[in-house]
Amino acid sequence: MRTSVIPFGPQHPVLPEPLQLKLTVEDEVITEAVPALGYVHRGLEALAQNRDFHQMVQVTERVCGICSVLHAICYCQGLEDIMGITVPPRARYLRVIWGELLRLHSHLLWMGLFADSFGFESLFMQLWKIRERVLDIQEATTGNRVISGTIRVGGVSRDMDARQVHWIADQLTWVAHQVRQIEPVLREDFTIRRRTEGKGVLTSAQARELGAVGPVLRASGIAQDIRQTGYAAYGELDFEPVTATAGDCHARCMVRLGEIDQSIDLIHQALDRLPGGDIRSEVRGRPQGETLMRVEQPRGEVVYYIRADGGKTLSRVRIRTPTFANIPVLVKLLPGIFLSDVPVVVLSIDPCVSCLER
Amino acid sequence: MPIQWLDKLIRRARVKSPWLLHFDCGSCNGCDIEVLACLTPVYDVERFGIVNVGNPLHADLLLVTGTVNRRNGRVLTNLYEQMAAPKVVVAIGSCGLSGGIFRTAYNVIGGVDQMIPVDVYVPGCPPRPEAIIDGVFLALDRLSRPAKSSDRPPLKPVAGRSSP
Amino acid sequence: MNHALIILGIGLVAGPLLGGLAGGLDRIVTARLQARTGPPVWQPYYDVIKLMAKELVVVNGWQAFCVYSYLFASMLALILFVMQSDLLLILFTQALGAVFLAMGALASTSPYSQVGAHRELLQILTYEPLLFLVGVGIFLETGSFKISVVMQWKDPLILKLPLLFAALGYVMIIKLRKSPFDLAASHHAHQELVRGVFTDFSGPLLGMIEIGHWYDTVLILGICSLFWATGPVPMAALAAAAYATIILIDNAAARLNWRWMLGHVWAMGLALALVNLICRHQG
Repeated sequence: MRTSVIPFGPQHPVLPEPLQLKLTVEDEVITEAVPALGYVHRGLEALAQNRDFHQMVQVTERVCGICSVLHAICYCQGLEDIMGITVPPRARYLRVIWGELLRLHSHLLWMGLFADSFGFESLFMQLWKIRERVLDIQEATTGNRVISGTIRVGGVSRDMDARQVHWIADQLTWVAHQVRQIEPVLREDFTIRRRTEGKGVLTSAQARELGAVGPVLRASGIAQDIRQTGYAAYGELDFEPVTATAGDCHARCMVRLGEIDQSIDLIHQALDRLPGGDIRSEVRGRPQGETLMRVEQPRGEVVYYIRADGGKTLSRVRIRTPTFANIPVLVKLLPGIFLSDVPVVVLSIDPCVSCLER
Repeated sequence: MPIQWLDKLIRRARVKSPWLLHFDCGSCNGCDIEVLACLTPVYDVERFGIVNVGNPLHADLLLVTGTVNRRNGRVLTNLYEQMAAPKVVVAIGSCGLSGGIFRTAYNVIGGVDQMIPVDVYVPGCPPRPEAIIDGVFLALDRLSRPAKSSDRPPLKPVAGRSSP
Repeated sequence: MNHALIILGIGLVAGPLLGGLAGGLDRIVTARLQARTGPPVWQPYYDVIKLMAKELVVVNGWQAFCVYSYLFASMLALILFVMQSDLLLILFTQALGAVFLAMGALASTSPYSQVGAHRELLQILTYEPLLFLVGVGIFLETGSFKISVVMQWKDPLILKLPLLFAALGYVMIIKLRKSPFDLAASHHAHQELVRGVFTDFSGPLLGMIEIGHWYDTVLILGICSLFWATGPVPMAALAAAAYATIILIDNAAARLNWRWMLGHVWAMGLALALVNLICRHQG
């Protein structure tokens, strides 16, 4: 029996982000995992105190480049709540469309990295090829591939015309078709099941106790999705949370696969019912008051606490990101597994270190 | 002259086979996923022999995204110093250039060039994969030229570099 | 004498060039399977020339010694093969080279390198018994371990030893570092051990390992081609078919862990080989 400490990160090709896990290993079995954080900490919450509350939207979009639109939506909804602004229906639908496009590209990205974590490089390439089409839609409608910058306090800054609506629907049909072709591989391939089934099992009691959120929680059989609270236009669209019961890495992959279909369906619904009218209401005065706003991100529930004292800047913005809630889950799951399963389990919670450390 | 011929061959091989190391140095992931997107079918940098090796000892090209803070600056310097010569550094994204939108945040020191010498700067928030590939090619230009000692000043002490 | 020298030259020079070419073709085929275009076919040569011209960083003096030994053993194994020597001698020589590579990795203190070396040793443990059974099978069929005798054999061995050839497939996947058994080090770095056994080798040493790998590739494809040694064309065709199949498997499988590799390859591979040998012996 030989004990050694393997520093997993901060620079590691499996995880593009600098998360460091100090893994104590005995014969390739993990006995202890200690996450060391702070490599990406920039201090974004403090930026609220020296930025105009409109400028802060751009900062919140850059809390994380993968969850960008949803951070901005959550922040703007919080401010709209404080200031009593009603968002025009068209803007609410456009927010849903961009939010779901983001979920789509984030899940495809995750699935590719997940495939890469167990050495299935061709699957990674195929999934990222599909993802490029989603980014094309984002670029055509917002002007940027990754960080869109279209969300504003009171609405959105860009509209789409009827031609674009048709084009998006066509492109999404292509995406759905491609994902359907890959689905059997993810669901049934022998080597993938061998590497993911029964790895990192989280029971529903544990998930509740550790406060898991998002697909990790839903894969353990708890149907909780913040979108059900009906923010933006979700109250007018039909969907059910995707769940699985096994609670292992394969179940988490299946939940995200289901959410890809769900997102495509939601965008189709939103495009069909897209109402006319303004895209932004007027914002007058300065915010005063406090609020707590929750939004479902690809990785789970994000919570914004915003307090404003009637000035141009906000006095406090506190962001509780989904990865922050899922790190205890990760620390719980790692001991006892093989070193070769570490990337699979780490990626199965979809860690977003930039969100986590802000 | 065989020596000249060999020299030419080596410089050509360096341009044709740049192995890259990507380090996320406090970026928001926007640039990171664009760097990764360069490896995937639509952009496919392996056409030019570029491979992501993920190991500083093997890499010729360091791609740095994001701002430097007090904790990851040390990691960045370590990685740079572990790379074997000849090596070039490409700083990617507004944050990597100057700190970008995070410049005034309390834990941000600034751009990548506060820590290590940078050869090519790729602006954008995030830059498109085409821009990143273009930046890499500008950096390769430097690899193909005969090395001069004046090209690479030694690491200079900068405020914050010695802090942990 | 002159004839032997020419063969020696072919083994030393054409061997690695062929190996590099196979590597380049592999990268193109892999890229096409992944919906990409891929690098030019001579990319591996560029890689090695570049590595040879890089700064030498040696973590530990033993590393350099081990790499030289690995390269020398791989060269020797291929030369012995080209000179149609004893199959057992060739197998022992290449095993020696593989162990030297693992020793070089163990000489550094990096945990990635250490774990990679352990896995490399486990891989050697997994494939060596099968490789020797292949040798034994050829001996039982032709009555000699000499490759020169095998080359004279009129019937394709694969018709008599199909299951043994399948067992050799496992060896080839492990030896060529392909999924699902690219545990110790894979060609692309996206695994938990970064580059596994190669982690602490850099510059010229890594270039030499790459050349050694070319020799290994040609040797293992050569052993594979012995199963249809009725002429140069069927030999090349069989090796190419086997190589293509392995690339296909590489792109259609996830990486498995070493416990599964050891259990499965021993159970399946040894069973295939032994069943084949017993059937032949009975008949």
